[in-house]
Amino acid sequence: MEPPRSSGVGIDNSGEYSPEIAETLRFEEEIQSLIHPSSFDGSAAPTGGGSFTALLGLPANQAVELLHDSGAREPLASRIRVGGHPVHRPFHLPLDCSSAFPSNATLVDRAARFSVFAAEGSPASSSGRLKAEPQDSDSPPLDPIPTGPAKRKDTGRSKCDVRLSLSFKSQAKATAKKSKNAEENTDGDKLPYVHVRARRGQATDNHSLAERARREKINVRMKLLQELVPGCSKITGTALVLDEIINHVQTLQRQVEFLSMRLAAVNPRIDFSSLDSYLSAECGPVTVRNGPGGVVVDPSLWPTDATAEATRRLLVPQFWHIDLVPPQLQPQQSLTTWERDGAAHSQLLPNPTTSLFLYDPANSGNANVPHLTAKLKTAEDRALNL
Amino acid sequence: MYRRSFKDTRSSLGSPNPNFSKPMVALRFLRALSLVRRSGLGACSPSYRARGIRRAAYACMAASAGPRRAWSRALLRKIRRRPGRGLRRPRAVIWRHRPVGGGDRLEVALRRLVPGGGCMEYCRLLEEAADYVKCLAMQVRLMQTIVDSASHV
Repeated sequence: MEPPRSSGVGIDNSGEYSPEIAETLRFEEEIQSLIHPSSFDGSAAPTGGGSFTALLGLPANQAVELLHDSGAREPLASRIRVGGHPVHRPFHLPLDCSSAFPSNATLVDRAARFSVFAAEGSPASSSGRLKAEPQDSDSPPLDPIPTGPAKRKDTGRSKCDVRLSLSFKSQAKATAKKSKNAEENTDGDKLPYVHVRARRGQATDNHSLAERARREKINVRMKLLQELVPGCSKITGTALVLDEIINHVQTLQRQVEFLSMRLAAVNPRIDFSSLDSYLSAECGPVTVRNGPGGVVVDPSLWPTDATAEATRRLLVPQFWHIDLVPPQLQPQQSLTTWERDGAAHSQLLPNPTTSLFLYDPANSGNANVPHLTAKLKTAEDRALNL
Repeated sequence: MYRRSFKDTRSSLGSPNPNFSKPMVALRFLRALSLVRRSGLGACSPSYRARGIRRAAYACMAASAGPRRAWSRALLRKIRRRPGRGLRRPRAVIWRHRPVGGGDRLEVALRRLVPGGGCMEYCRLLEEAADYVKCLAMQVRLMQTIVDSASHV
């Protein structure tokens, strides 16, 4: 009395088949009434709104196939092992459609990844209903791809029967699973909706579903990381990818340290206060624009240009603005700052421009700004020449 | 003196959430640099100054990434904790949930690298690591630009 067990799917409850068989037989009658007026179309989308076939999202004949299988398990038990086409069916339904029935695992996988429940086409509408119906469950991979070219073995079909019967039991839990997935949608705002589908031959109890959901989450995030780190997309294997990521993070941190050392060496020569006032003037309207929609104003190109040009523009007019300053101030200040900085700048001594940059802007930093903004246009030529 | 720089930048620039806004980071960083410079004209040695600049860089990065990120909060906490090491107020810190599974040496290494990575689960760790890498790369590019333009002229 255990034909589902013979198909190899592990079920731990054996005594609950009788009510389910009665249920399936009841549905079978309903579907027969639906089927007979309609033609035996392999690709017919389910027509009835509330019928069982609509719930399953299957074309009617495939549902019938299933039910027929589940209803008449015993005679099929012997036929299952044969593996050929079951020719003893009273319905004489076209078998190629049902043979294409639960899709390839790859297609299901892709559907899960790109958060589409079924392939495009007519099943899409039914799968929309699939989502809405609470009685649907994750466990049966009922992606209706009736015209798919996949070959199907009978063992697969029998497994689907089993899953069908399982679906009656695990409906409540499946809704919980779906709500969990829905919550995950709002969790990571950037990350896609992770659907968990039970593929063929995989266990469908709660723990494994949860584990699978978690694994899918981790895989999605690993892919994101792979895209961020350059040169990681070619690497296969989680350990190597992680290694590369760790390497990259360490490199970046070392670069920050190195650049901060260089900046410390360069620091006393630069007037940062006027620079950042210039930038704030420039970026004021930009922030207003960026506020509501987050419209990115060419993030990679533009800011680098802004900072580079800003620094260049401000440094150059400072150069010849300082020319006008009475020269007796300069040597004292330059000497004092050089004493402090020590040997770091000794190689730069012969360079005349550095002495001017050592001029402390703290006194005249604020005063420079109106001058600089007025002189920016004229200083542009020199900046370009330099 | 460093605390003053954080408050200044934060109050003046409001709350920028996405770190795609590179000029915001640039602004903060330059302000912080000017503050560092003004504080005694970069104390004694360039190495001391370098450390200060590095702290400022991480602080700007964390501040512009937004308080919604776990790593930015942890980073700011780590930076601010330095002055005054003793326990000021025994506050109930519940956040030390140590996730089990320290056998994977790669995972452990990643946790040590990403700030605040000791307490998260693996999925969140990966998420935070992605954001951290993005921010770090932006900060490095910014600093490179500044150094280049400064040493070019």
